Amino acid sequence: MRRLKINIENLSKSFSGKNVLKKLNLKVYESESLAIIGESGSGKSVLTKCIDGLLDYDSGFISYDKIRNIKELNSKKKNAYMTKFGILFQNAALFDSLTIEENLRFAKKDCDLSKILVDVSLPKSILQEYPSNLSIGVQKRIGLARAILKDPEILILDEPTTGLDPIIGRQIILLIKKLVKKNKITTITVTHDMESVYEFSDYTAFIKNGKISWYGKSKDILKSRNKPLINFINGIY
Amino acid sequence: MNQFLKKFINYLKKIGDLSFGIFCSIGEIVLFFIECVKYIFLDKFYPKVFLAQLIKIGYNSLPVVGLTSIFTGMVLALQSYTGFSRFSAESAIPNVVVLSITRELAPVLAGLMVAGRSGAAIAAEIGTMKVTEQIDALKTLSTNPYNYLIVPRILAGLISLPFLVFIGDIIGVFGGYLICTQVLNFNPTVYLQNTFNFVQFLDVFSGLVKACVFGFIITFMGCYHGFNAKGGAQGVGMSTTYSVVSSSILILLTNYILTSLFFDL
Repeated sequence: MRRLKINIENLSKSFSGKNVLKKLNLKVYESESLAIIGESGSGKSVLTKCIDGLLDYDSGFISYDKIRNIKELNSKKKNAYMTKFGILFQNAALFDSLTIEENLRFAKKDCDLSKILVDVSLPKSILQEYPSNLSIGVQKRIGLARAILKDPEILILDEPTTGLDPIIGRQIILLIKKLVKKNKITTITVTHDMESVYEFSDYTAFIKNGKISWYGKSKDILKSRNKPLINFINGIY
Repeated sequence: MNQFLKKFINYLKKIGDLSFGIFCSIGEIVLFFIECVKYIFLDKFYPKVFLAQLIKIGYNSLPVVGLTSIFTGMVLALQSYTGFSRFSAESAIPNVVVLSITRELAPVLAGLMVAGRSGAAIAAEIGTMKVTEQIDALKTLSTNPYNYLIVPRILAGLISLPFLVFIGDIIGVFGGYLICTQVLNFNPTVYLQNTFNFVQFLDVFSGLVKACVFGFIITFMGCYHGFNAKGGAQGVGMSTTYSVVSSSILILLTNYILTSLFFDL
């Protein structure tokens, strides 16, 4: 029995008069992994930012468990709501001025960091390094560690393989797959990369023109007759 | 006629857009100001970040403020001498140097120097954090960016600028003393006597109050422009430029207002 975690109905968001999301509907279920795919500028990242509370939406509603509409939360409750999410940002978004240890301590103050470093396959010696000394692949691993360290209810991965070469990209995908299965976290992945979709996403939503154009099991994507989705998969925009 | 009307309407539209933009910016600055003031008194305070900013804005600006002050004091003494010697009023040079330095030059020049040095650095740092989603990351890690990024910088600016200006006052007066006694053959004791007899508490105090206000302006504009940076590297560059330009203009403007308030002009 699937348990509804996030329900999005008629969600609209515009920037400077340009409608990015147009009455979008989507459901996210507990312990499932959802991939959101679509062309650049289709509103994928905007959608996740509305879900995790980083952006306010114009109309419609997002409900989360017993919260009816997250837009109605006051700032204190909104802050508490945002802590439910662990986010791996597109460029990892590690704090430049802090060491890796300080970056990780931001997520959880008193804990043994060696365990999480083993999980993301990194040596303990990395703790004293600064993010600028590390490759983007390693930064993403640290970003992932920071996101998971705070025991989130929902893990949001924004383009986890963007900017990585295929080998490192593949390593990150396998790492995410291992961690998601191990921790049984509800995951929302925004991606262009179909390999990530097939590898660890249970369901996929395809966004076209600010709306969900296709939604279904990831393994059924190739059976789909949705023309925009077929074009997207074949790289025809 | 039709074309003239079209051009006229377009012209009016441009004026309307510009005015709307200006009022929007003012509104945004006021809202940002309210948030900043609110979080100075609310939520968590980060003493470590505050101390780090105190060192960055205050201590690290000492060499540049010191150099500016000493050369200003020296040039002021030389220029005053050229003018005053024409009507045998050389004895007024210590008074001119100390008044100019404490009331105007030390606070304004220190303010402009710190705006160029620390204001730009603040805007660039926060702007980079904004465009690389580090500020979003802070929010999701239960850290209020106002408390963590803005408040420590503004408080550090408020506190460190008066100290910088006070040190600048001493160095600037010393610069004038150096030139007068070593180059222009003034009697050192008489020079110092003239300096201390003439300077009043309000002269120094007004400079320190100005420094406080300038410290706020520099850090506030740096934080505001950094926090509202858009796009990539270009956006960060623009936020840095806006921060320095706006703080410099505001420093000169508020300097005039404060001078007329303090000295009833």
